[in-house]
Amino acid sequence: MASEYVSLQNIKFLLHDVHRVEDLMQYPLYADYDGDSIDMIIDTLKELADEYLFPYLEECDRFEVQYENGKVKVHPQILKVMQMMGENGWIGAPYPVEVGGMQLPHMVAILNEYIFAAANNNLNGYPSLTMGAAGLIISFGNEELIETYLEKMLTGKWQGTMALTEPQAGSSLSDITTIAVPTYAGHYQIKGTKTFISAGDYEGIENVVHLTLAKIEGAPAGAKGISLFVVPKSRVGADGKLQPNGVATAGIFHKLGQRGYVTTQLALGDDDNCHGYLVGEPHHGLAYMFQMMNASRISVGSHGAGIASAAYHASLEFARERTQGRRWNDRDLTLPQTEIVNHPDIRRMLFMQKAIAEGGLSLVLQCTRYEDLHAVSDGEEKEKYYLLLELLTPLVKTFPADAGIQSVSHGLQVLGGSGFCEDYPLEQYYRDIRIMSIYEGTTGMQSLDLLGRKVQLNKGLAFKLFLGEMQQTMAEAADMPELQKYAGQLKSEVEKLVGVTKHLGKIAATGDIELFLADATPYQQMFSLVAIAWQWLKQGITANKVLQAQEKQGDDLKFYQSKLHTLKFFYVYELPKTEALAAAITSGENLTVLKDDDLLI
Amino acid sequence: MKIAILLKQVPVKDATLELSGDNTWIDEDDVQFEINDSDHYGLAEALNIAKANDGEVTVVTMGPDRVKDSIKQALAKGAHKAIHIDDEEMSSTDPLTRAKVIAEAIKDENFDLILSGLQSDDFGYGQTGVLIAEILGMPHATLVVETEILEGKIKVKRELEGGWFQNAELPLPALLSIQSGLTDIPYATIKGIMMAKKKPVAEVDADDLGVDLDTGAFKLQKIYTPVKSKETVVLDGDADSIVSQLIDKLKNEAKVL
Ligand SMILES: Cc1cc2nc3c(=O)[nH]c(=O)nc-3n(C[C@H](O)[C@H](O)[C@H](O)COP(=O)(O)OP(=O)(O)OC[C@H]3O[C@@H](n4cnc5c(N)ncnc54)[C@H](O)[C@@H]3O)c2cc1C
Repeated sequence: MASEYVSLQNIKFLLHDVHRVEDLMQYPLYADYDGDSIDMIIDTLKELADEYLFPYLEECDRFEVQYENGKVKVHPQILKVMQMMGENGWIGAPYPVEVGGMQLPHMVAILNEYIFAAANNNLNGYPSLTMGAAGLIISFGNEELIETYLEKMLTGKWQGTMALTEPQAGSSLSDITTIAVPTYAGHYQIKGTKTFISAGDYEGIENVVHLTLAKIEGAPAGAKGISLFVVPKSRVGADGKLQPNGVATAGIFHKLGQRGYVTTQLALGDDDNCHGYLVGEPHHGLAYMFQMMNASRISVGSHGAGIASAAYHASLEFARERTQGRRWNDRDLTLPQTEIVNHPDIRRMLFMQKAIAEGGLSLVLQCTRYEDLHAVSDGEEKEKYYLLLELLTPLVKTFPADAGIQSVSHGLQVLGGSGFCEDYPLEQYYRDIRIMSIYEGTTGMQSLDLLGRKVQLNKGLAFKLFLGEMQQTMAEAADMPELQKYAGQLKSEVEKLVGVTKHLGKIAATGDIELFLADATPYQQMFSLVAIAWQWLKQGITANKVLQAQEKQGDDLKFYQSKLHTLKFFYVYELPKTEALAAAITSGENLTVLKDDDLLI
Repeated sequence: MKIAILLKQVPVKDATLELSGDNTWIDEDDVQFEINDSDHYGLAEALNIAKANDGEVTVVTMGPDRVKDSIKQALAKGAHKAIHIDDEEMSSTDPLTRAKVIAEAIKDENFDLILSGLQSDDFGYGQTGVLIAEILGMPHATLVVETEILEGKIKVKRELEGGWFQNAELPLPALLSIQSGLTDIPYATIKGIMMAKKKPVAEVDADDLGVDLDTGAFKLQKIYTPVKSKETVVLDGDADSIVSQLIDKLKNEAKVL
């Protein structure tokens, strides 16, 4: 078992120095917070993760969730985590004080997700989903829903879920068939099947509240006909007591990873007695659900970065202890073997892990900063932050997931044969992180969203604003002799990205949408590399300022030197990969679009 | 009910410690500090008793300015107020002197109950609490694993050696040192952290209390890393020769034969 999974120094560097969380405190919404209280919050989250999550990482995986006679048995620690998170106010933390929250900036709240996912990605989802589901009720629910559900969910007594996916409708939610029939009593009768529902049911929890997408009988086809309902496992009867609500758990899924995080198949209304309570207006359900989905996408990004961080720490620890072979310039075989951390190939893999984990977290904090600034600003400013966040959401979901998988794979490789075995956590991290590219919209769907919608958002204004943000960073870096070269490199990468975007724009103008979108994923990968390079340049600027001041010593000094070194590593080893992606996208060969003859044989 | 918890700040558990130039303490420059581990249990018990008896918990901490961080943490975990006995010079490591200073600083507070952890992770004397009880003329109990407040007295269960327990009743005011692991340790909440900023922290200067800080009765002479005193010897040769070498060593060096 590795001893560490995140670096508090890195978290605080990114939060305070690079992304300047203190800027938010000039706004009344966040005025109660200051740097000190935020550090105490971060320290407390780490203490909680050390106590409640990290020690159970392996157990949650080995003692997989069980399903017997319609009942789901999970690791008992889940109930303890839910109780602790509820009683200590963490589930409601980002919500307004009036509804029992603490108005915690999103930049800080997301670190809860990050630290907990790094500590144990089998446990953090339970409170996290409850938080998101409660958020929908706060934003769009009527007084009765708030009265009935909110307090129970925010205190961790009732679990929340998002119930979207159906067997025939995963990526394509407009094809859901769960039906909602209005009744004279005011509620709806719900009938349908929901699949892959996380935290959908488990023994010991008082109730599970499914925020469910369904179509009201006679609704228009497609996304415009989708409504949002609260469908509880047990409904509150006239006597105030809980009674079964026709939500049956038909089974659970046995998975590659996250084996302690239950994924359920739900049968709604098989007994024609499943009440659903409409949230907000009919037919607006998907738009409402996007509030939770957008937040969840940033969360998934933070989870990917978190697991990548845990894997990095575990690999580094191993590489510092394991001795094997000698350095190639030391051929004296009577010398003891060297620690593998001294071999360039191992160092390459470790720097790659670090570059992805810390670059990914930086992008997560950048996005939540936009989210917070959006919450406190008005007019054009508000629109600006909205557009930036919309544009970056598919990237912040996808990069830490996809590149995170690669980085954990490198981390496993660092351990050699031990990486493949259960004695070390790398094989579990490798399995656990794999889902990040699939749920909350697959990488493919995120890429389509980026190219097909976000880049063109508001006639391309979102994209332009993003270029402006990068421009600012490049200008600042260009004034620093140590960073000039990298500012220049990023500038030409940005030009390349703009060129490729224009090339694709021309294809879109021909009306051949399938061809236009065919290479959405390579485009997203290219875009992500540029966005992460931007984040590394930002970190480099901050680190360089500290180094120039010459006030740091010892491990502190090394921290900043390591930041600059990792920036260089990213620019030398990762960023140039855009060249191959751009070449494929602009080749004009159209090798993936289905022609008359299918050559996939 | 007025409850005090004596809480100490010590170097973090995994800190790499370097000796100071004069070999009487550690070089604090690159070291981070935290609340002494066993004091968390004292704080937890203080908060539990306060909750059940409408009490108020005061954190009492002696040390330089850096200890304010630990005080703030204890306040964020639920303590109501604090007394910081400012001792910038860390003038004495003598538990008796420190006990005298603390006793002097808190004697007018008239606490009904004073709790401490089992011992500090740095010096590990485990004496400060007991000495304070003596100075203030209070009954005390150590290694306490259970408490129950009764009218004007407290019932405690003490953990003795060999799986034995002792039950005792002490009239209040009293001082207890709490055995680690007695209860779940408290964690800060966001609300607690925000409220901690507004909770009162009284500042008392150790120099102003009229206690002689340099009695000379106790002197810390030297701190040093353990000197390696064991050595493994590998016996070479064939089985017969190894056996005779071993018998020789057991007879003449270890003197066990
Ligand atoms: C462990 C786990 C937990 C989950 N938790 C939840 C949950 O809590 N709530 C919930 O509602 N759902 C949940 N899901 C469902 C998850 O969101 C879906 O699995 C995901 O959206 C993909 O849908 P699908 O599995 O039906 O795959 P499909 O949609 O069938 O996709 C298969 C492949 O086709 C690609 N594809 C699909 N359509 C297109 C297209 N138009 N163009 C190009 N490529 C396309 C996809 O990118 C993917 O690679 C969970 C899934 C898992 C495995």
